[in-house]
Amino acid sequence: MTYGNVNVDTVTTSTAGGILGAGNASIMKNRIINGAMVINQRAFSGNPVNAYTVDRWQVSVSQTGKISAAQSTTAPTGFVNSLLLTSLSAYTVGSGEQFILDQPIEGFNCSDLGWGTANAKTVTLSFQVYSSLTGTFGGSLQNNAYNRSYPFTYSIPVANTWTTISVTIAGDTSGTWTTDNSAGIRVNFGLGVGSTLSNTAGSWSSGNYSSATGATSVVGTNGATFYITGVQLEVGSSATGFEYRQYGQELALCQRYFEKSYNDGVALGTSTLNGIVANAGVQGAVSSSEVDGGTSFKVTKRATPSMAYWDAVGNSGKCTRVQVGVSTTNNSSVADNNIGANGFFVYSASGSSASAIWFHFSASAEL
Amino acid sequence: MYQLQPKTWLGEATSVKRLTDNAFIPFDPDNTDYQAYLKWVAEGNTPEAAE
Repeated sequence: MTYGNVNVDTVTTSTAGGILGAGNASIMKNRIINGAMVINQRAFSGNPVNAYTVDRWQVSVSQTGKISAAQSTTAPTGFVNSLLLTSLSAYTVGSGEQFILDQPIEGFNCSDLGWGTANAKTVTLSFQVYSSLTGTFGGSLQNNAYNRSYPFTYSIPVANTWTTISVTIAGDTSGTWTTDNSAGIRVNFGLGVGSTLSNTAGSWSSGNYSSATGATSVVGTNGATFYITGVQLEVGSSATGFEYRQYGQELALCQRYFEKSYNDGVALGTSTLNGIVANAGVQGAVSSSEVDGGTSFKVTKRATPSMAYWDAVGNSGKCTRVQVGVSTTNNSSVADNNIGANGFFVYSASGSSASAIWFHFSASAEL
Repeated sequence: MYQLQPKTWLGEATSVKRLTDNAFIPFDPDNTDYQAYLKWVAEGNTPEAAE
């Protein structure tokens, strides 16, 4: 009986002495988190002001109202999402101003690169872009102190067409590169950067440079669009295929920096009980004074996180005081008591008679 | 822009409230929001007193 033809891939060669993590590995080779722009815990869509958009991707601006950001389903083959940045005006960037998309990579996650030493490893940054503009665009890699910078350029020759970009960068043998839970490497994409914050592409220098001199300004054209996805930073002198991670893995990586109680895709402050933290209460045991609560995080945070709370109907900075089986009182006071990297303790100091409190939360330990 | 918080039952305040979004910022030097708060104070600003 014949069942059909089977194609068999045969390993015919092997490489001796390969070391996992040395650039040959396919596991966790990408130091960028959420490079495919699939995780969007904040359900962000709007005008970012030095704020995170899709997870781990921050838009830093010198002026408000010049650019919007949103997760997009416009994507090249092999991807389902990108991050869309849209210019809201034709703004002439001042010499000391900048509009950038950036991801700070935690020092622990790039400590093996040896930057700041004679053994600094070469890395390759690759990504895919699609823009209504053409020309030479810029970006940079920087250290945590913003005093070592490597500006780079790349070309988008055809408008509204996905273009694959690869930039190889020799590791920096100078400067201080942190290898702890602070920012190790900052990866910047310029969207409009002034001359003071731009420098010649292709070499390391001391100074704070977010982009390359002469790069195209996205914010300079009203309605200009800039999509990006498939961002990968890996050890080695050539780009390899994008490292796809399982959704749950990528989400967990993001949650080291930000997590929330709301369901995936539900915006902060939404009126919903789904996912709300409901601390144990006992019917009949009520108090109009302090009622305590808290919970553990899904993922240990990079640092003690900043905490925000909402009640059951989405009031910011509030909780719902609950008399179990009797009443719920929204818009009740809430205050944090002790926050840790693994969880937190919160309380409602006073209000309606209650035996428990309900609340949604977000925890941010972003870089 | 910020408001100091009452002492906890352990006897020390552990965070400051950012009034723009009602977030509680812990006194952790590794927290970038706390770094921003310290910079704001160093620029001569004063947080509101605790309620």
